[in-house]
Amino acid sequence: MTSAAITASPRRGVLRDPVLLLPVAVAAGLAIGWLGVHEGVPGARVAADLALSWALVAASVVMLERPRWRRASWLLAATAFALLGADLEWASSHALWTLGFVIEGLWAAFLVQLVLTFPEGRPWSRAARIAIVCAYAVTFGGQLVGAFVVPDGRDALSVAPHASFAHTVDRAQEISGVAVALVVLFLVVQRLRALRGPARRAQAPLLMAAAVSVPTGVVWLGWAIANDAGTSTLGTIDRAVAVSLPLGVVAGIVWSRLRRPEASELVVELRTEAAAGMRERLARALGDPTLEVAYRLGDGRFVDATGRPIELPQGADRAVTAVTAGGEEVAALVHDPALLDEPALVESVRATAGLVLENERLAAEVRSQLAEVRASRGRIVAAADAERRRIERNLHDGAQQRLVTVSVALGLEASRADAAASDVLSRAQDEVEQAIAELRELARGIHPTLLRDEGLEAAVEALARRTPLPVTVSGTTRDRLADPVELAAYFVVSEALTNVVKHASASEALVLLEREPDALRVTVTDDGVGGASVTADSGLAGLRDRLEALDATIVIESEPRQGTTVCAEIPCGS
Amino acid sequence: MCDDCNVRKRVLIVDDHQPFRAIARELLEDAGYIVAGEAADAGEALAAVAADAPDAVLLDVQLPDRDGFAVATALAAVDGPAVVLISSREADDYGKRIAACGARGFIPKSKLSAAAFAALLE
Repeated sequence: MTSAAITASPRRGVLRDPVLLLPVAVAAGLAIGWLGVHEGVPGARVAADLALSWALVAASVVMLERPRWRRASWLLAATAFALLGADLEWASSHALWTLGFVIEGLWAAFLVQLVLTFPEGRPWSRAARIAIVCAYAVTFGGQLVGAFVVPDGRDALSVAPHASFAHTVDRAQEISGVAVALVVLFLVVQRLRALRGPARRAQAPLLMAAAVSVPTGVVWLGWAIANDAGTSTLGTIDRAVAVSLPLGVVAGIVWSRLRRPEASELVVELRTEAAAGMRERLARALGDPTLEVAYRLGDGRFVDATGRPIELPQGADRAVTAVTAGGEEVAALVHDPALLDEPALVESVRATAGLVLENERLAAEVRSQLAEVRASRGRIVAAADAERRRIERNLHDGAQQRLVTVSVALGLEASRADAAASDVLSRAQDEVEQAIAELRELARGIHPTLLRDEGLEAAVEALARRTPLPVTVSGTTRDRLADPVELAAYFVVSEALTNVVKHASASEALVLLEREPDALRVTVTDDGVGGASVTADSGLAGLRDRLEALDATIVIESEPRQGTTVCAEIPCGS
Repeated sequence: MCDDCNVRKRVLIVDDHQPFRAIARELLEDAGYIVAGEAADAGEALAAVAADAPDAVLLDVQLPDRDGFAVATALAAVDGPAVVLISSREADDYGKRIAACGARGFIPKSKLSAAAFAALLE
């Protein structure tokens, strides 16, 4: 979870408050301007340098309103002073000229770093990090090497003046500069296409400015390569276009703020409309389509609007803002961390949404409890089913097995004995057989083995065969369904057919199995006397828990003399 | 009846309930069959068939390791002895599995008699 602010460590003097940089930058700019005019530098060039450096410092001060942009802010200020420093080449002092020469291209490297680490000061990717390092190597490294060999009388670092080597260094710098610029352009365009929501509003203007400035720089370098000489005019144009970068930073901040009127509209909207669609409205108000609302339950867990439990994200790629009502946390907004840069916007939405979200939270809590009750009912039914299966198996493997052995033994002895004894033994065998049959019926009622082994269709067909009146089974379940669904459907048919036999005086019955995309429908119809109703002690009423655990519905139509139709619809997914 | 065939048929009895095997053995021997052996589970049954090559197997459906259908299917696949399935459940409890496993037929255990057994082997 990203915290709301990255606090800067305490610093002293001008470093503690970059606003103090403004007069320093103005004074430095005026000094450089005076130097340029005094040394006969073209006025347009002097004006472009001053405009760019002052714009950079101004933007760096504006950026301070965003704590997470602090690094970028310092980088902008550093760029301004590097740019003015490069103009020291206009000075006649050898030391100042040499300093200006060495840091001549540093401002461009600073801008590359600014763009490729915007807004939080970390390179976007490994490729971005490599591009930044290359930019410094080409500009600062290249100039430093050049300073040792350039054949210029003002060069204080000159150790081995060598005109053609210095020229080669120049060309190498320009060619590699074009390569780095093209990589930067590629990364910028890629980033522009990937950005969404609040991050896009805040960052797109700077990236678009970069997408314009970088090609201008490439043209400048290309001209120098093609004509074997630099051009002051293109250099001036390049700096003028670069003014769009600090403007882009400020534009991003302004564009982000434009969301605020929508947030205040939300106040009206939320108070007049039902809370349904809360997430969509909040997402619209905050301009973050990825926004999620997590409602906080009494026990501290979080659920979504439907009551399903959700985990709050822990990583830095999502941010969490708590929403309170009456001093109590009612919900959490999970959103794009870029929104942390617009605390006023988030605050206005948060203040507005609290009360409405409190209502939504209560609804979500009820839904969550309902889901829990249903799940627990499902578990109870499943546990009971497992127990019934165990009892059925025990009856079968135990008592029934022994009675069967007794029955066969009696039959064998009857075949060996004389007539009188044989008659007694045969009657005893009949009694045992009757007991076995009753036990078998009992076991089947407890748990139908055939259902587990062969599925609903086979089990229902067996039920139909055992029912003492003609029963037609039609339709299909298509394939096997979950155990609870098959058991519920089976018991509905079983109870309905039992009722037909007991009460309906019907001549026949019909069982229909229908598979819908997400439900199984089971219908049992008879042509009997009708007038049936579900009383508390009837078998169908006993299925209530089983059916409700599955969210199933059961409808009984039984007009007098119209027969009876029992129809259950059991959700089963697809 | 087997006196008629001149050759007395050799039968393997497979059931995990020993008292039942004992009664079944008496019943079959009374009717002139030779009980070639007894087995208490599917593994023993397959081993006994391989060792004794009986003419027929009286096979309980519910065995502790695998069910009788699996044993019947395995024996049918190798053209083994005739299989008669028995169970303390009824045929209806097993649906189509009885017909599908390659056995000669099915007798509910409580209805087991030498006549019913012989009828299925014919």
